[in-house]
Amino acid sequence: MVFSSLYFLFLYLPVVLLVYYITPLKWRNAVLLFFNLIFYGWGEPVYILLMVFTIVLDYFAGLIVSRRKKQGDDRGAKLAVAVALVLNLAILFFFKYWDLVATTLQHAGVNMPVLNLTLPIGISFYTFQTMTYPVDIYRGDADVPKNLVSFGTFVTLFPQLIAGPIIKYKDLADQMNERTHSPEKFASGVQIFVIGLGKKVLLANNLGMLWDAYKALPAAELTVAGSWLGLLAFSLQLYFDFSGYSDMAMGMGRMLGFEFIENFNYPYISKSVTEFWRRWHMSLGTWFREYLYIPLGGNRVSKPRLIFNLLVVWAATGIWHGASWNFLIWGLYFAVILIAEKFFLAPLLQKLPAAVQHLYTLFLVLVSWAIFAVEDFAHMREYLAAMFGLAQGGLADGTFWYYLRSYGPTLLIAVLASVPLWAKLWKRLPRRAVQIVLPILVLAGLTFSTAYLVDSTYNPFLYFRF
Amino acid sequence: MSRRYCIFLTALFCAFLAVFLVAGAVLPDREFSQIENRSLEQLPAPSLKTVLSGEFMSDFETYTTDQFPGRDAWVDLKARTERALGKQENNSVYFCKEDTLITRFETPDSELLSQNLSYVDQFAANAGVPVYFSLIPGAAEIWADRLPAGAPNASQKAVWDTAQSTLRNVLFADTYTPLSAHSGEDIYYRTDHHWTSLGAYYGYTGLMEAMGLTPVPLSEYTKTTVSEDFYGTIYSSSGVRWVKPDCIDTYVPDTGIRVVSHTYDSKGNPVEEERSLYDYSYLSVKDKYSMFLGGNQSLAVVTTPHTDAPKLLIVRDSYADSLVPFLTAHFSEIHLVDPRYYKLSLADYIAQNDIDQALVLYSVSNFCTDKNLVWITM
Repeated sequence: MVFSSLYFLFLYLPVVLLVYYITPLKWRNAVLLFFNLIFYGWGEPVYILLMVFTIVLDYFAGLIVSRRKKQGDDRGAKLAVAVALVLNLAILFFFKYWDLVATTLQHAGVNMPVLNLTLPIGISFYTFQTMTYPVDIYRGDADVPKNLVSFGTFVTLFPQLIAGPIIKYKDLADQMNERTHSPEKFASGVQIFVIGLGKKVLLANNLGMLWDAYKALPAAELTVAGSWLGLLAFSLQLYFDFSGYSDMAMGMGRMLGFEFIENFNYPYISKSVTEFWRRWHMSLGTWFREYLYIPLGGNRVSKPRLIFNLLVVWAATGIWHGASWNFLIWGLYFAVILIAEKFFLAPLLQKLPAAVQHLYTLFLVLVSWAIFAVEDFAHMREYLAAMFGLAQGGLADGTFWYYLRSYGPTLLIAVLASVPLWAKLWKRLPRRAVQIVLPILVLAGLTFSTAYLVDSTYNPFLYFRF
Repeated sequence: MSRRYCIFLTALFCAFLAVFLVAGAVLPDREFSQIENRSLEQLPAPSLKTVLSGEFMSDFETYTTDQFPGRDAWVDLKARTERALGKQENNSVYFCKEDTLITRFETPDSELLSQNLSYVDQFAANAGVPVYFSLIPGAAEIWADRLPAGAPNASQKAVWDTAQSTLRNVLFADTYTPLSAHSGEDIYYRTDHHWTSLGAYYGYTGLMEAMGLTPVPLSEYTKTTVSEDFYGTIYSSSGVRWVKPDCIDTYVPDTGIRVVSHTYDSKGNPVEEERSLYDYSYLSVKDKYSMFLGGNQSLAVVTTPHTDAPKLLIVRDSYADSLVPFLTAHFSEIHLVDPRYYKLSLADYIAQNDIDQALVLYSVSNFCTDKNLVWITM
């Protein structure tokens, strides 16, 4: 199930909220687990079995880790953690990467069958989430869950099951057992949710149509200006889609009494690529830092080892985004830039005017999206060539001006919405004004989003590959 | 924010969701949307099989969207918002000059196009009678000057050129030239994808030239406006509700002309259904273009008073419905075949019915997307 759909908004969500709130506190996790599984199985019901398997496997792995630790058997605990991680990664590999490896090996003449399995929705998100559990138990960062239901609810929690944020077990363990519900929390959840819905339905979907038009153009019709316009649209689409989903997750989390971590913090205002990655998909970044980069030794290693660590982390980050080699290249592209910034570029950058730092960052990030969004290597080369002046369609054409005129206002709104100025202004608004404007904005957001969902010709789910 | 205010905001949000949840449950479902001119999805019944395959869920999603309370108003609101945001299109329909709606012509699938062309050539080779061929350009081509500046739109002329360079066994009839010569006139509906009767007349002159016949001058006909509030298919698909309606005109009187539609009943027995050149009962419903020959049919036979004139067979799409009135002056019988529904051998049909000549006539956009033309080679 996806959030940006009428049956989710006007059937699933109100029913879940209603049943949740009329259920006594101690049964609420069970109610959530039930609805989570419906949410998860909606697209591919068979995979509910896979989900239940994953839950049971990890739950007992965590119990064993905890018991071994209490017995003072560190080796045994470590072994249990390792087994759990390997099994989780094996499931992820099998469903997500098997076909990529198989097709690549087939090119090399090895006969490995292609399975064409549907990717279980959100598998990369929830697998990363479940992998934190035995580790956090081992590290003593969290206690074992109260029972299987409580753990199952954590794994399947529908607001963040399919598109993040990736929440570490230790961050949610206490909330699984005890969380507060209040009108204040619910009302703030409503605001964040409506902002997220608007970001996804009104901005991201619209800009996505512009990007799709440019992505589909044959090389002969690409222009320099057009290829940049298309990519600008994609970079804004991805940001508003992804952060919109995270906002909706956070909003619904609060409605159910949870507090999730922030996932995006105005990434496009960054002054360096290092900063960009501290602001973009933060839950993934911290995951890799805590569960891969630091275990590898982090910063406190020799220079060659540090470079190696960074390459490993960014190769993994890249390929996490989808089973296609372009994502690996995309990750390594960032590895190179981040290594350069770490070793010599950062101090140089800081001496430059702020505008140059912004341009530098936006330029590199925008180019990265071309590698990210165009999976076919031949077409990626053509697209990048067009961006760098070798467009077969010339500098600009009528189509470019048509699209610029048609999407100009939306692009402008999107660009303005990606800076923190408005949130700052909002905080300075007098209380009385906020009280009047807020319900109007909430209603307008819901109304326009509903209109766009009723007549939706374009409403993609971008993370089906993640 | 005070606790009371938070309760108010919470209630506001929940009420918005609940209103449409309840309205959706209480309001009766609609079978058909007049304004969108299509059947709406009905509540699917879940079964173990459809739930496991996900078919139930996907039908249910369509159902909630199709039956959403106040659907027409939401569609309207979205189209108006798009326009307010500076968009010049909605659902692939351009907002054009002179209150015209034109669907974008997408670059045709070249494989499908060459396949369809080869079917036409095969049919012509085996028909046993002369086969004329024409593709009718749409408004996206002839009224390109009405499109928003720079609007992406593939060339339909290119499709016609491809046809002319690849077909070997047909006689070409050019409708492109007469239609573009009269592009300043109301030759297409502003809200529908068809040509008007006037457009069909110019197309007819092109056919007559190819067939070596003299067309009846337009001045010999009297124009009769039969409807002034026609909202066509593009109006339906665009969501645009702010354009003014079209007029439907007729030129040729229908006296002495008989139309018989041939179908089969549920047991497979052939059934003849009496129709007419103009079925005015359609003027009281949304789908007014169907007044020409009574809309879609598998096989129709039009008989005229000119009993000694030749017999023509047309393999066609719906553009022919409004063209036929003009052709009645030149043929004793006009047999209309729609391969979407007619799946029997055309060569046999031509031989059995003493057809003298055949015409394959499609609009460019239908010809580029049709997947039933294989049947004409049988």
